[in-house]
Amino acid sequence: MSTFGGLNTALSGLNAARIAMETAGNNLANVGTTGYTRQRADFTAAGPLASSGVFATKSGPGQGTVFTGIARLADAHLDARVRGSISLAAQSDTSAAALDDLQSVLREPGENGLSALLNDFWAGWEEVANSPGDSAPAVVLLERANAIAERVSLTRSEISDQFEAQHRSLRSMVDEVNTATQTVAELNAQIRSVLASGGSANSLMDQRDLYAQSLAELTGASLREQSDGTVDLLVDGNPIVSGASAFALQVGGSTELNGDMPPRVEFAHRPGQAVALQGGRMAGAVALLAPADSTGTGGALAEALASLDSVASQLATRVNEVQAQGLTTAGKPGAAFFSFDDGKLSVLATGAQDLATRSVSGGALDGSNALTMADIANESAGPDALWTKLVVGLGAKAKSAAEQAVAAGVAAHSAVSDRFAASAVSIDEENVSLIANQHAFQGAARVMTAIDEMLDTLINRTGLVGR
Amino acid sequence: MTRITQAGLGFNTERNLQSAMERLATIQNKASTQKQINSPSDDPAGTATAMQVRSEQRQNDQFSRNAADAIGWLSTADATLSTTTDLLQRTRDLVLRGANDGALNQEAKNAIAMELEQLHEELKVAANTQYNGRLIFAGSSNASTAVGATNQFLDGSPVERRVGPNSTVRVDISGSAVFGEGTDSVFATVLSIAEDLRAGDSISARVAEVDTHLQAVLGEQVKIGVRHASVQTAESKLASDAVTLQGKLGSVEDIDLASTILQLKSQEVAYQAALSAASRTLQPSLMDFLR
Repeated sequence: MSTFGGLNTALSGLNAARIAMETAGNNLANVGTTGYTRQRADFTAAGPLASSGVFATKSGPGQGTVFTGIARLADAHLDARVRGSISLAAQSDTSAAALDDLQSVLREPGENGLSALLNDFWAGWEEVANSPGDSAPAVVLLERANAIAERVSLTRSEISDQFEAQHRSLRSMVDEVNTATQTVAELNAQIRSVLASGGSANSLMDQRDLYAQSLAELTGASLREQSDGTVDLLVDGNPIVSGASAFALQVGGSTELNGDMPPRVEFAHRPGQAVALQGGRMAGAVALLAPADSTGTGGALAEALASLDSVASQLATRVNEVQAQGLTTAGKPGAAFFSFDDGKLSVLATGAQDLATRSVSGGALDGSNALTMADIANESAGPDALWTKLVVGLGAKAKSAAEQAVAAGVAAHSAVSDRFAASAVSIDEENVSLIANQHAFQGAARVMTAIDEMLDTLINRTGLVGR
Repeated sequence: MTRITQAGLGFNTERNLQSAMERLATIQNKASTQKQINSPSDDPAGTATAMQVRSEQRQNDQFSRNAADAIGWLSTADATLSTTTDLLQRTRDLVLRGANDGALNQEAKNAIAMELEQLHEELKVAANTQYNGRLIFAGSSNASTAVGATNQFLDGSPVERRVGPNSTVRVDISGSAVFGEGTDSVFATVLSIAEDLRAGDSISARVAEVDTHLQAVLGEQVKIGVRHASVQTAESKLASDAVTLQGKLGSVEDIDLASTILQLKSQEVAYQAALSAASRTLQPSLMDFLR
């Protein structure tokens, strides 16, 4: 070891302490930066010089410290858990919010729902039964029938509006995804070239992971790391980002509720082929937009509309059937009261003369058929029962969706919290590191001073004996 | 050991504050609406019950209206039958007087006959009594008079009012049961007595006929009384049902005020505790203690 070797060792210590303090400073500066992953300056002890020669038996002290790089303390496993749980939470959150909106359309339970209008309608028939042929109760009854028809059409249009809003939000989410995948692809390219030239791509990786997380939240995309430092993002097994290329998505299918093709997400380069999303907001939205099916497990919006239609159709059918059983006060057979066609409920009766209030055997002012009409209210498969089934069914769905959303939210929260624990900046830790490295710097400086004094003694103060 | 970081601490604190706030909002919403169920998802089964109870309430309401209408019909019928009884009593008095063959001359008998004819008209008027535009002795028919030219009644089917889920009350009276029909009717009887009087025939045997009619009217009036009583029973049952139903709806839909206020208070305390905990944990770091 040379005479000046010790100076070099001290210098490496000074440099190391400075780099470590700068790293701590960078960490502290980014303590509030979203997506920032804490960094650590890594060093390794430089070994002693290899001794050569026949008589060399002892090795000397080490050569100081060697800076090996700035490590980014991310945990790939935790990151994957965050992405997975966030995509699930986002999916259940989307459907819970939509179901909550949907049930508010029903205005139940209370005095403003369809059931109150139906109750009034049936009571109206009893009033008519009390004075058949009178125009006053008939006018009231027809008013109530019109209120039902208007409410059915209002509720239908509100459900359609929610469908359109959901579809719009799906389209804007797809736009967002396409921008994000483009950015991830560009970041991939930069990271690859930085790493290839031996640089540090930590901040680029932080940015990319943020985008990957928001893509997971939207599409449920999973991430696959490549050996060159880039990542692939996969949806349903197909890449939306692969290296430096991004693959755009688009919304296909019908834009209308109960259109011939259900709305779906597809790759722009493979139109017509639906992508099965595994999670994320878009998966929630696509499921909500699905058409109704025979088992009642289709999209919530289409199912609600189908149930509403079955209520209206059952109302029209039963009222018209009972009308047909009776006679009007003038003795004519009762004509249809309601018409239900293509989702539109309309009142055909125009006055007391159209109401089949009397039974075939009764007198002109008999009201027994009107009473039979009022009994429809209590039928087990009547319109009231169907409406209650719709309300309770939707309520139960919304309740379980809300509970699921809370559970998924808790899981996502714990995953994010775990990641914070692993990779966020701790101010205390950085302060300790600052102090430690400050002392290390002082120590190295002291070593340098000691060696300097030693050399001073050696060079300037030797050979002065007896002078 | 888990690392605790400032960002993680902030994240958790925010989340805890958020959920404390959310619970507070839920309770506040319940307290301000005074409703346990604000949307079906709050309690799907309770929603079904609430809807069912509301529908029963509306029906109950309508039954009360029907019962009021029934009381109107029956009161009119009762009053009419009382009038008819009075008329028949006067008829009976006149017949008894007219049967006094020795004491009355023909002129006096003619005067009684005229009075009887007058009573006949009044009886017809009574038989055509209307309630709310409907003839009470004509059942469900829509004829303009209840009594025909040959003294027959146009009984349609009976008029009934529904005063409970499974109970109906007949509110009209059979005209033929009260007044008799055709030649046996009270009208024919009174007229023929008047004719006999004018002809100078003895009518002493006819008092019994008038008595028979009087008995028939009284018998029908008793029936009306029985129905009236049953409608009143139904009305008071409906009134008590209304209270029961309101209570049932309240127990399903309404909040328990005391417990909600208590929950609200404790939730407020919890939120304040979360806030003050946050202010303490978020502030200090090693920096506060280094010089």
